Amino acid sequence: MFKHLFKLIWNKKKQNFLLITEMLVSFLVLFAVFTLMMYYYNNYKKPMGFDYQDVWVINYNNSYQTKNVDSLNLYYETLRKTIKSLPHIKEITFVSGNIPFSSRTNESGLTFRGKHVQHLNNFTVEDYYQKVMNVTLLEGRWFDKEDVVGKNKSIIIDAALKEATFGKEPAVGKLLGNDDDKNKFKVVGVIQTIKKNGDYLNPGPGMYFRTDTGSFRWLDKILVKVDHGADAAFEGKLYKTMANDMKNANIEIEHLASKRTDANYFALVPMIILAIVSTFLVINVALGLFGVLWYNINKRRGEIGLRRAIGATGGAVSAQLVSESMILATLALIIGTFFAAQFPLLNVFDLPAIVYIEGILISVLFVYLLVLICSLYPGKQAAAIYPAVALHEE
Amino acid sequence: MIRLQNIEKVYRTDTVETLALNSVSLDIAKGEFLSIMGPSGCGKSTLLNIMGLLDAPSKGQIRIDDQKTEGMNDKQLAAFRNKKLGFIFQSYHLINDLQVLDNVELPLLYRDTTAKQRRELAAEALEKVGLANRLKHFPTQLSGGQRQRVAIARAIVGKPEIILADEPTGNLDSAMGNEIMEILLNLNRNDGTTIVMVTHDENMAHKTHRLVRLFDGAQVQ
Repeated sequence: MFKHLFKLIWNKKKQNFLLITEMLVSFLVLFAVFTLMMYYYNNYKKPMGFDYQDVWVINYNNSYQTKNVDSLNLYYETLRKTIKSLPHIKEITFVSGNIPFSSRTNESGLTFRGKHVQHLNNFTVEDYYQKVMNVTLLEGRWFDKEDVVGKNKSIIIDAALKEATFGKEPAVGKLLGNDDDKNKFKVVGVIQTIKKNGDYLNPGPGMYFRTDTGSFRWLDKILVKVDHGADAAFEGKLYKTMANDMKNANIEIEHLASKRTDANYFALVPMIILAIVSTFLVINVALGLFGVLWYNINKRRGEIGLRRAIGATGGAVSAQLVSESMILATLALIIGTFFAAQFPLLNVFDLPAIVYIEGILISVLFVYLLVLICSLYPGKQAAAIYPAVALHEE
Repeated sequence: MIRLQNIEKVYRTDTVETLALNSVSLDIAKGEFLSIMGPSGCGKSTLLNIMGLLDAPSKGQIRIDDQKTEGMNDKQLAAFRNKKLGFIFQSYHLINDLQVLDNVELPLLYRDTTAKQRRELAAEALEKVGLANRLKHFPTQLSGGQRQRVAIARAIVGKPEIILADEPTGNLDSAMGNEIMEILLNLNRNDGTTIVMVTHDENMAHKTHRLVRLFDGAQVQ
């Protein structure tokens, strides 16, 4: 029977071409939507890597400028003590501008053991950063005073960079740097990759450098860990304290939790737009399929009557029409999968292959389900055609 | 072979009730070639559809090959039609998107047969109607007479005991009509197939063993 149906479809290829094209286009759009959704979902499942609750960000423009490093350090250490002495403050750290959930980035590339790592995030952090952010240490240790001395500067890398450079081997104690660099960094710790771009986006690999004596010249953010009692009144007080200490500086206080929400909204917008567009497309395709199948049944009433006369049951007629639609869907999906498979093969958009494969599988299932639903009712109607009437009409 | 007892068929709409067949009783013996005649709308095709189990009577009983057909479900009726009956229609009812051989194979698709068996049986049936050289043609590439011969091949491919033909020569000129009639007569004569044929053509009807006339749904001869 399958061969018979295939022959019937093949001999009607001109009529079926548009239907296959419609299914193919819907598959490709669904593939884009589901791939994006799976990408977001896979990222969402990953641990955040740090604790953003009760962490506030103080943005300031660096107003204190002096050539004397000691005076500079004294100024900022005094500021640290002042802030830390406030009630509700648990810990404070100065950081580079590319804090989590901000749009600022500081990226570089790295060629290590012949492999090139792109979009490598560079963070400059203090020893206090771990306590403020509660980052998850996977191997080794966080920065401490030991790191001031030593032949090679210390570096902490995240799990993504470790995977890209050392693979499964332990990284702590090993040297990391570009293959042609003489001065390499010594890895002292590996932390969980922090989702700096929000819940849904891949943060990419990252490496953390310890601040040095001149870092205060360009650091422009403070992260403070506060307790649950820190409220708007305290925020006002913190602002005044900063304003008193940093005359003429622009100061702004934000909450990491709110920044995370904003980052997530920003990431979800294209997803939502694509989902709305594809929903309309799917509705159109469903109505189109339904209409074409319905039209086919009316056009094929004579054939249906004949098949019933020569021995087909109502169920067999219904099954035939549903099977024909499913074969058409299969042809469209074979072509669609060929195109979709090029994405992981050619590493388009630099997404993990599994995301594309999941996208293909879900889209295939969705198209089959859509075609099945759209053909069930027309198939049932065909089964109900009375052979004597259908044959007489012809 | 076929026994119809007091068959009545009433078509009802919301406002009108039409009596298409009025107490028709008929016995058709095995190997008989019977023709049914009558003016348009007298119930000839309705009677043939009822004999072919394509339509159910409002009243009366049908026995085919000593089997009661009342109470058969859709699956049983389909299997019965597939094995016992062959249909020939005035407008051929060929599927234009399938080649001649595939059209003839159709009834065998609803049986437990292999593709090879189907192919062989279909080729054999086409040879019988003189179309062995047209296996790969599409129906649209054939003349009316050839199309009807394909329809006959399709009707006989499953070796049914009964063939029901609804005006098989109605769309053909007299020469082609005679050719088709000759094939049907041969089938009846050589294979012993019981044939019931609805026709408007007196000449064709007189070539059969028996003629039944209907008028306004009732049997008048």
